[in-house]
Amino acid sequence: MKFFLSFLLLAAVTFASQAQSKLTIRGIVKDTTNVSLDYTSVLLLSPKDSALVAYTLTNKAGEYQFKNVDRQPLLIKATYMGYLPFQKELVLPETDILEVDEIQLKPILQELYEVVVKAAKAPLMMRGDTLEYDASKFKVPPGATLEDLLRKLPGMQIDANGNIIAQGEQVQKVTVDGRRFFGGNTKMATQNLNAESISKLQLFDDKSEQSKLTGVEDGVKEKTLNVELKEEAKKGGFGKVSAAGGTDERWTANASFNKFDKVNQFSVIGYGNNVNQSGLSWDDLQEFRGSSAFQFGDTGDFGFSGGGGNYIVFSGGDNEESFEIPFNNLNSGYSNNQAVGINYNYLKDKKDFSSNYFYSRSDQILESVNSRTNFLQDNTSFTSTDQSRQNNMAGHHRVNLRFQNELDSANTITLTAKGRLSTLNTILFSHQELIRSTLEQSQMDRDNQSDKWSGAFQGTAIYRHKFKKNGRNFAASISDTYSKADQDGTQKAVVDHLNSTDPNTYFQSLDQVIQALNGSNLIKSSLLYVEPIKKIFFWETFYNFSQSTSETNRQVYDVETSDTRELNPELSRFFDNKITYNRIGSSIRYANKGSNLSVGIAASNYRLNGEFSVVEGSEILGRVDKIYLNFTPNVSYWKTMKGNKRINASYAMGVTPPSIADLQPFKDISNPLYIREGNPDLEPEVSHSFNTGYNMYDPATFINFRFSFNATFYQNQVVQNQTINPETLVTTYKSGNASGGQRFYPYVGFGFPIVKTKANAYLYANPSYTKSLSLINSIETETHTYSHNFGANFDLTPLEWLGLYAGSSFRLSKTDYEQNPSQNQDIVNWSAYSNANIKLPKDFYLDVKFNYNRYKNESFGFDQKVPILNASFYKLLGEAKKWEVRLSANDIFNKNQTISQYAGQNYVSTGRIETLARYFLLGLTYNMRGIEVKARR
Amino acid sequence: MKSILKTIALILLTTGLRAQNIVGEVEYRYKIFYDKIYASMPHLTEQERDRILLSWGNPEGYSTRMKLQFWPEKSLYTFGAPYQVQSYSWQVEDYFIENNLEEQTYLKYMDQMGKTYIVRDSLNAPKWRVMNEIRDILGHMCMKAVAEDSIKGQKITAWFASDIPVPVGPEEQFGLPGLILAYDINDGMLIVEAEKITFGEPEEIITLPKKLKGREVSGTQYQDLVQDFIQTSIDSKRAWMWELRY
Repeated sequence: MKFFLSFLLLAAVTFASQAQSKLTIRGIVKDTTNVSLDYTSVLLLSPKDSALVAYTLTNKAGEYQFKNVDRQPLLIKATYMGYLPFQKELVLPETDILEVDEIQLKPILQELYEVVVKAAKAPLMMRGDTLEYDASKFKVPPGATLEDLLRKLPGMQIDANGNIIAQGEQVQKVTVDGRRFFGGNTKMATQNLNAESISKLQLFDDKSEQSKLTGVEDGVKEKTLNVELKEEAKKGGFGKVSAAGGTDERWTANASFNKFDKVNQFSVIGYGNNVNQSGLSWDDLQEFRGSSAFQFGDTGDFGFSGGGGNYIVFSGGDNEESFEIPFNNLNSGYSNNQAVGINYNYLKDKKDFSSNYFYSRSDQILESVNSRTNFLQDNTSFTSTDQSRQNNMAGHHRVNLRFQNELDSANTITLTAKGRLSTLNTILFSHQELIRSTLEQSQMDRDNQSDKWSGAFQGTAIYRHKFKKNGRNFAASISDTYSKADQDGTQKAVVDHLNSTDPNTYFQSLDQVIQALNGSNLIKSSLLYVEPIKKIFFWETFYNFSQSTSETNRQVYDVETSDTRELNPELSRFFDNKITYNRIGSSIRYANKGSNLSVGIAASNYRLNGEFSVVEGSEILGRVDKIYLNFTPNVSYWKTMKGNKRINASYAMGVTPPSIADLQPFKDISNPLYIREGNPDLEPEVSHSFNTGYNMYDPATFINFRFSFNATFYQNQVVQNQTINPETLVTTYKSGNASGGQRFYPYVGFGFPIVKTKANAYLYANPSYTKSLSLINSIETETHTYSHNFGANFDLTPLEWLGLYAGSSFRLSKTDYEQNPSQNQDIVNWSAYSNANIKLPKDFYLDVKFNYNRYKNESFGFDQKVPILNASFYKLLGEAKKWEVRLSANDIFNKNQTISQYAGQNYVSTGRIETLARYFLLGLTYNMRGIEVKARR
Repeated sequence: MKSILKTIALILLTTGLRAQNIVGEVEYRYKIFYDKIYASMPHLTEQERDRILLSWGNPEGYSTRMKLQFWPEKSLYTFGAPYQVQSYSWQVEDYFIENNLEEQTYLKYMDQMGKTYIVRDSLNAPKWRVMNEIRDILGHMCMKAVAEDSIKGQKITAWFASDIPVPVGPEEQFGLPGLILAYDINDGMLIVEAEKITFGEPEEIITLPKKLKGREVSGTQYQDLVQDFIQTSIDSKRAWMWELRY
């Protein structure tokens, strides 16, 4: 019964409040001259969070009315173009109708609205009596002071004495971020503060200091200007230092520091180690180069490429010929590496400048054993082995500069300059053995040394212009690459003649001094013009020109006695070559709704000029003067479809002229075992490439699928025909043309989640087939290489603290010799990897990596297994995790070595390099920004 | 809120006050800053954030032109003409939003999360808070309003022109006492701003494809899909803004 009563009561109260809750609110909006404002927005807001409750418009008489408004605290707001928005809190009446007092809107000071809101596009903020706006929107010249800025602001004046007059009154004090600036001295503030560092200005009447102290309102108001300073949004710096030492005197250290703001990016980096790392990591390289890390289209080559499609290649090695900073490079053998670099980028407005200098050096020792079995016509073979120790000392200075300026929306210029200076010293000792049968063996010991320096410079200028007609473009580029190399060396060989009586023996004793001076210059220029036709067709026309001149001056001296040298005219050569290339082409492109079709043709002309003599100025021994003219068609199609699907197909014809070295009618006997002979009748190599592909990715299920098929057919392929002298075993190579070579490269890959976000798999297969042709001992030989290649990768991230990655790939290369099936080779490369990243409690981490490689060639009984186990255990220290202590073990099984296997047209080779194996390191890292833990890939 | 929108539509229709201001077309610049969004992903370390901003930061952002057509009773929104006519074409995605103010419903036909969706439901305006700040956009005095999208984790700052009393706007923004001429998300990760307003009946009215092919879902179902997609992306440490309109 009690329950029933209270229920009734409750129902009654609810009902009553329901009945009373709906309000009608009405009123009128006028301006200060008492004219009613029609069409004014009137809003009801909730005072606690300004949430919009209801809104309406006033009618012609300036009247508004809200019906059925829930009874709740309300704020009324009225806004009209050119007037300051008005707002006030409503006092809710007891009755259902609220007549709101007349709302009077004050016009915004004309000047304020025009200058601040309209011209400077600065938002105007009402805070009680204070009007606030973003002063940073006013354009002032660099270096301008607050005074200069104030002069621009409406309602502000600076009198002759430097006093600020705001709205007719003198400003008594200036505060910065609410604090008094130099005792409130206004001039001190206005003349010293930099206008560019100011974000907001607030002008208001502050209480006098007196009343603030006493708390007694004295009625005195001080006109106050408060200046808010900008927080530099894009400003930062980070850096890290790391050092580790360990067993066998192994050590590694690196350090980097970056500092950047909106305009400037500065970084330095350095490393040193004797654990074979001879480049930056990919992340470090990005950080080092900053905004210049990714720059595309700087080559200035326009028009379609012969291979069909453009590639962007990121390659990392410390290649002597490269201008690029080395990265992700792990040397073979044993090496000692150091590098230091500095980078500076400047980005302002439409100007973009980047520069860097990088010096790297490496001292590498390679101890290797190579074996090569050559097949002869009569089904016999001979094997040569080479046991060598090589010491390479290389140092590279590299400079990269780039400047891009968008002059205006239509014109852009890009200038790049790259320079390189390298030194390379090589010492090689080797012991070679030739085994023809157990009876016929011979040996040779070699001792070669060479000192080389080389330098190169490349400058490129690209100009791009967009015409007024949208889609009509023009671009022009010019570049020059100059290089020079100077090499001095000695070659010594001592042959053991014990088992050979033939004077034409395979090995020959030598004692020579070699001097080589090479220089080359390449000028390139390209033009491109694109004309749009009805926005979906584009007519592209391009022209390419290049001219490369090169000079090779190689002098070989036989050392007769310790102080007598005799020029060897057989080996000394002076070459002077020039290749001129002109290509003009045109294509029509259709681009609409994801479909793209391009059909084009180009005419290319190569002119090859060359001559050679024994030394510069002596009798010309041979000349090359060849002109090749070819027409190359090019078709490409790709279509993007809904659901992240894409298909593509293309055909391209490529023409590669023979190298001048292959054309020169002379015998190069600089390596007496492998003699090269030129062929002046060579035709350019023509390739026909067909590519098709399909790929899809579903972002909701993470399923992805890729398929591609590339086929290339060769005409007049430039091949090296070989003749092996069965007596001396000397191989003579002579360039020739052969038609019928083919390559097929299919690829299929499929990725899918096993358990969404926890376990993913990717399976792939890329078998390939290559058919190559050449003449071996005047017999046309066909070699077929089938490569069966497939693999699988698995990623398991079941828990936040655990990541497991595993995968395997298998490749079987079957090389079949059409004319000599008994020599068919089956080479197997099998590899597996697994990697576990485990986050342990208390900021301890464990990384374990296991790699297993197996190399097998049954016909030689070759079977090499290389299991490598690496593990590191580390702990982050400190609250901000800026310190890390790491203990790492590399190659715990002590099995590391570098293995290579290759089956060529009439030979099989295997190689093995002794490489840094087991070592342990204990290291410490400090990172200003906290250590990065890569628990996931 | 719904009834208010309806009332406004009614007032505008019946009074026809200054009718030139309630029908027209707006071109917006949709400018997205992938670097800033990417750098805000929760699993990244501070150094990775700095690296992203440093090496592929683009102070200009990536712009797309969008188009809104409005009447007192409805609005239509889709892609505008591209800024740069390019000799290749990869954009095949559809993105249409139709808001019907009379019936208080919407239709979205869009390619999101790798699929084509047809979303139909009744209009449900975000909870707007109107602030005390004005700015000028193309000669219109605009007031500031803020809202939050808890699913996408976005802080939305919009500027609406009360002299264009049509409660519509670009993308999925609407429900303010005036046309939304600009808005930004998370202090500049996305900036959408009107570049051109033409009053009067648009010359070429946006038309949806005759046959809508896609998965038909309700507004709440779609929100669930979005929530699930974002959660899965965060769990697998991927960025979701490539596949889902930010």
